[in-house]
Amino acid sequence: MIATAWRVLGVGFSLLVVLTAGLLAGAEPGRSSFLNSSIDGLTLGFAVRTDDLTVLLLAVVGVVATCVQVYSLGYLHERPASYHALVALFTAAMVTVVVADSLFLLLIGWEVMGACSYLLIGHYWERRDARSGAVKAFLMTRLGDVGFLFGIFVLGVGAGTFRISELDPAELSSGVLTTGTLLLLVGVVGKSAQVPLQTWLPDAMPGPSPVSALIHAATMVAAGVFLIARLYDLFAASATTLTVLAIVASVTMLFAALCAMAAVEVKRVLAWSTVSQLAIMFAGLSLGTSDGRHAALFHLVTHAAFKGLLFLCAGVLLHQIGSAAFVVLRRYTRRGRLRKALPVTFATMTVGLAALAGVPGFAGFFSKDTVVEAAWHHAQDGSGLGWVVLVSVCLTAALTAFYCLRLWLWVFFRTPALAGGIGAFEDDDPMADLDEPDTSKLRDAPWVMLSPLVLLAIASVVLGYADGVHLNWVVGLVTTVLVLLGALPAYSLWSRGADPRPVVLEREFGVDPLYHRLFAVPARWLARLTVAGDRDVIGAYVRATGRTGTLVSQGFRRMQTGNVQTYLTAAVVGVVAIAVLAGVIGS
Amino acid sequence: MPLILPLLLAVLLFCIGVYGVLARRNAITLLMSFELMLNAVNLNLVAFDAWRLDGLATGQTLAVFVITLAAAEIGLGLAIVLLLFRGHGHVDADAARDLVEQDATEQRKGAAT
Amino acid sequence: MTTALFCVAGAVAVVASVIVVTSRRIVHAALWLVVALGAVAGCFGALHAEFVALVQILVYVGAIVVLVLFALMLTKAPTNPLPTLTSGRSPFAAAIAAALALLLGTGVVLAFGNEKVDPVPDGSAEAVGTAVFKTWVLPFEVLSVLLLAALIGAIALSQRKKED
Repeated sequence: MIATAWRVLGVGFSLLVVLTAGLLAGAEPGRSSFLNSSIDGLTLGFAVRTDDLTVLLLAVVGVVATCVQVYSLGYLHERPASYHALVALFTAAMVTVVVADSLFLLLIGWEVMGACSYLLIGHYWERRDARSGAVKAFLMTRLGDVGFLFGIFVLGVGAGTFRISELDPAELSSGVLTTGTLLLLVGVVGKSAQVPLQTWLPDAMPGPSPVSALIHAATMVAAGVFLIARLYDLFAASATTLTVLAIVASVTMLFAALCAMAAVEVKRVLAWSTVSQLAIMFAGLSLGTSDGRHAALFHLVTHAAFKGLLFLCAGVLLHQIGSAAFVVLRRYTRRGRLRKALPVTFATMTVGLAALAGVPGFAGFFSKDTVVEAAWHHAQDGSGLGWVVLVSVCLTAALTAFYCLRLWLWVFFRTPALAGGIGAFEDDDPMADLDEPDTSKLRDAPWVMLSPLVLLAIASVVLGYADGVHLNWVVGLVTTVLVLLGALPAYSLWSRGADPRPVVLEREFGVDPLYHRLFAVPARWLARLTVAGDRDVIGAYVRATGRTGTLVSQGFRRMQTGNVQTYLTAAVVGVVAIAVLAGVIGS
Repeated sequence: MPLILPLLLAVLLFCIGVYGVLARRNAITLLMSFELMLNAVNLNLVAFDAWRLDGLATGQTLAVFVITLAAAEIGLGLAIVLLLFRGHGHVDADAARDLVEQDATEQRKGAAT
Repeated sequence: MTTALFCVAGAVAVVASVIVVTSRRIVHAALWLVVALGAVAGCFGALHAEFVALVQILVYVGAIVVLVLFALMLTKAPTNPLPTLTSGRSPFAAAIAAALALLLGTGVVLAFGNEKVDPVPDGSAEAVGTAVFKTWVLPFEVLSVLLLAALIGAIALSQRKKED
């Protein structure tokens, strides 16, 4: 009963968000502040605003959240319904971030999102990897949030207001501006899983797939992009911050794309691709031009559609087969069953991957091209930053095409190579079950799960044309060639039945072990030191107190002979001693 | 007569009584030693009464009272000694150690039951 | 005269009480107690406290010692010498008693070394009787209640239970 209520509430709330977005679309931008209190000339309070950016994000969040909630009805119907409540809270937090006009209100939503992501990633609390992934996500984003909090203080105190709409870069000294935006950038990097805080996102994959879809498409990681877009004037006014952002974005997109090329689990590939695609958005934002901002937001919207779609598809694989690891999926694929048993999933996933890879005609193609075009224009203006962004986005486009095609081919198609390419993935796992699984019962997911897929698949195509088609033929041609350049090696490797995975990529450049050695190990040593100090120094005093008491009382026990005459003797001795003492003192 | 004579006698009697109380085993001899100590006190009272001469005969009256108390005490004491004899079969003050601290394990056992 | 009498009675009392606490025969100790208490009664007499001396003889010698002898009989006290009547702690106890005696004696000598007693020549029984029934009548009555309580207590303690 309560479970049903939560489910209805969850779906209803996300529909309400969509409705609000629809109602606000085209309306005049509005602002309103409340609960203001003035302290020493500084106004603290809450404020909300509605403008184009808000409406856009509300629509994205609402649609994706609705899809996720409906999908979850089928995906998680056996789990506690508090899941739906948490997803609703998560959505509400993102909505708070989106409508906030006060840095503090934004911070509240930002932090609630962090807490919700922790709870939702750890939804399968009985699994060890889910728990540790949740903790990791929480710690990493918290680390960024410290910088975020101080960034708010620096900006707010520097400008004398915490209203976002009243922050004017012209009134701020360049030092405050740079410090504040750099600190905010730390929070953004943490939330959006950019280098060097990127490791939590792939490790958040043990969470339920719909949650991954929500985190990766609409909330959480998108909040970072949204924040920079919201404070774009400030960021654009600080050249230093933009340079840092561009470098971070360029490094991240290549890094993540390379990691995705070697991942052997569908969700992990998608997680790395999210990091990479977010970096493309940041690259667009780092140009500091309105074209760049527009391109980044366009990419954010299309990415929300196709990445949500892809994660929901991965969820279907997990739900129907029980695993999204390549080695498991291949057992079905070698029989040619997977495609036929899951036709809708296959079709929608194909659309999603095509959009991700940037195949012409799909949404990802158009949005990525706008980023490339904006970078091209910027570079032509004589900006070195524009060249860096341009080259790295182009390279990433090729790499993205490679891993998308690799994923698509290996999961859904038998390789024409000898013995069906056994050994491409099974090498890692000598114990892999090579027996043919019972595929007769494999069915596509129920329609409550498939309908969001279809909706998002349509969106993944249509959204590309929503902004009006203004295709730059040169750029389009170049990116198409790059996609082909990336796709060809993937195809030839697949047809030869080989999947070479360089060790350095498989280990994801050794960042996790490095962090482990740099932070976790010293922290553990410190903890051991603390424990030792507590146990051997402080505890020693405590134990010594107890033992002394015990020893003394054992001595007293000896005196407790039960013989009345002994007691009397002691009493008389005491009296004599006291009398002598009194005499000595008195004389 | 010097006052010091009865006082010293009282001290001697009292200390002999103390020795008896501390050294003797038999409970009845303990009681006898108590009587010696009480007598020493009485001697003190009477001696000081003779020295002070307050007209109220306070010391002598108190001495009589103490003798009365001694009678009450010896009555109760002997009753207790008889009880001891009935319970233990002896009147050895050394051997009556029911108040002794028991072993820790026994104590825990006792607490458990 | 009284000093000489007192000295003799005191010496007897000391010797008798030493025997009381050192004798190896319990019954002998009880009988020596009679001597000691009688000698103390003599001391009272020498101090011109005849009434107290008489009460001493009546109550102590007449009642208490008899009671003690009864108790010895009831507890089947052996009449032969008992080497274990004095415990192994006796040297220690003697040392303590000696120390106490030294302490008290020093104190007494220091405090009253030069005082003289000038006993009233005539008997004091009347004075004691007057004091008891005038000044001390309330304590006297309380004491009688105490005696009654002791009596009842002794009966209650020594009564055999029915099931015994």
